Amino acid sequence: MMDAYNSAKPSVMHIDLNSCFATVEQQARPMLRGRPVAIVNRRIENTSIITCSYEAKACGVTLGMSIKEARRLCPDLVWLESDPPKYKYVYHQLMRIMNDYSAHVRMKSIDEGIIDFSETTQEIAQRNLVDIGHEIKQRLWTEVGEAMNCNVGIGTNRFLAKTAAGLRKPNGLDVITVQNLRQVYEALKLTDLTGIAGRMEKRLNAVGIFTPLQFLDADETVLRKIVFKSVDGSYWYRRLRGWEVDKRDFPLKSAGRQYVLDGYRMPKEKVLQRLHHLCEETGAKVRSKGMVARGVMVYVRTYDYGGWHAKTMAPLPFFSNEAIYAQANKLFAAAPEGIKMIAVSCYGLQPADAHIAQLSLFGDDIAKERALTSAVDDINSRYGKRVIHSADTLGTDFYVKERIPFGSTRYMG
Amino acid sequence: MNDETFLNEQVDVVAVFRPGRTMCEPIRFRRKNGQDITITKIGLRHPVAHGKRMLHMFDVTDGCADYRLEFDAERLTWRLTIEADRL
Repeated sequence: MMDAYNSAKPSVMHIDLNSCFATVEQQARPMLRGRPVAIVNRRIENTSIITCSYEAKACGVTLGMSIKEARRLCPDLVWLESDPPKYKYVYHQLMRIMNDYSAHVRMKSIDEGIIDFSETTQEIAQRNLVDIGHEIKQRLWTEVGEAMNCNVGIGTNRFLAKTAAGLRKPNGLDVITVQNLRQVYEALKLTDLTGIAGRMEKRLNAVGIFTPLQFLDADETVLRKIVFKSVDGSYWYRRLRGWEVDKRDFPLKSAGRQYVLDGYRMPKEKVLQRLHHLCEETGAKVRSKGMVARGVMVYVRTYDYGGWHAKTMAPLPFFSNEAIYAQANKLFAAAPEGIKMIAVSCYGLQPADAHIAQLSLFGDDIAKERALTSAVDDINSRYGKRVIHSADTLGTDFYVKERIPFGSTRYMG
Repeated sequence: MNDETFLNEQVDVVAVFRPGRTMCEPIRFRRKNGQDITITKIGLRHPVAHGKRMLHMFDVTDGCADYRLEFDAERLTWRLTIEADRL
């Protein structure tokens, strides 16, 4: 009965590290605690802030703001370049703690994850989730560090658990049940709901929905046929009532990497070098998942904020860095001038096993390429990333550094 | 303000290995210039893999500055790689 609210006992817990990267830096460097800290991906004044501490937020500093602007608001701002290994370590520690409570843990990104208690052990199932939430906070302090804080949200589905985790920041713990559901929605704006941003808000406004409560009370048919024009309308109808509709895993369809160029109006041969580097990283990503690719896409953003892309589908699957770069290079020849950002992705991914079956049909060349690529991958995994790479990308490591992937945690190791 | 200094200085370290949050706790180190630094707090210890070789990064403070010490678990060497926020 999906029309009614889900009145089951809440069994989903959402855990969200507060201002994750900035807090980890404050944990690592005690002298930064209590000071405004911003994390950037590159040490230049025009770079954008990817996260900042609560002290910086109190001065008006926000995500996406340039360092130049942030320093005008907050002259004492300490800005640091991101340190991915440190954040990965904390991510693994958080995941280890969460795994102690259920076998059904899903990390949503580097700083947040979900514990599904619906199929946990009897011993854990008998405990109060609020107590477990407090225990996880305590363990984060003792096992990772005293500066680490997290928000905990508990609900009957992932959406309500995440909403609960966002109610009181930092360091909050809230539960949304059928009893307080309407009260919680009453205090929120439409855009406070995960998944509702500017464009979706406008579509809801167009049918007279201006608040989460109106959204909750909207007719399912209106949501499905007029607002979302798809089954998403029905999903939202159920999601808002606490029914689980987001417990889905999506197969890996593409892999890639993007890079904002380190120089203004860079000559094309230098851009190509960086593109080659991205192709090598993309190839390593694809192979690390035991996949081969069928297509390559190159995307370029220019200084006038125009986007350009080109893609190609190969008749046979490919996997080597050279094969990816050969196609990307060909596509890139038609790219416009004034490039600010480049991106490469491989799509049409499929398991490598299926590809091996075809090898005998296409002779020795593919087998040789496979053996060589595999040998290089083995050496790199034994002695360190990019110990062996193309001579063309010599020196690009200084510019194209490892970055934290937002969203997916597929490559967190 | 951002006053990190990146170094690559071999240092002599006194460390205690015992169960706890970091398992290995550097408590004191001597720099090349003879300066002795007593660590008052370990902020974070995190591993960084260079292939199969493991480095352990210790972010520590003596109350006057923050430091990063790198312990190479294969070569058993300690290096001071960052000094920051000297008062």
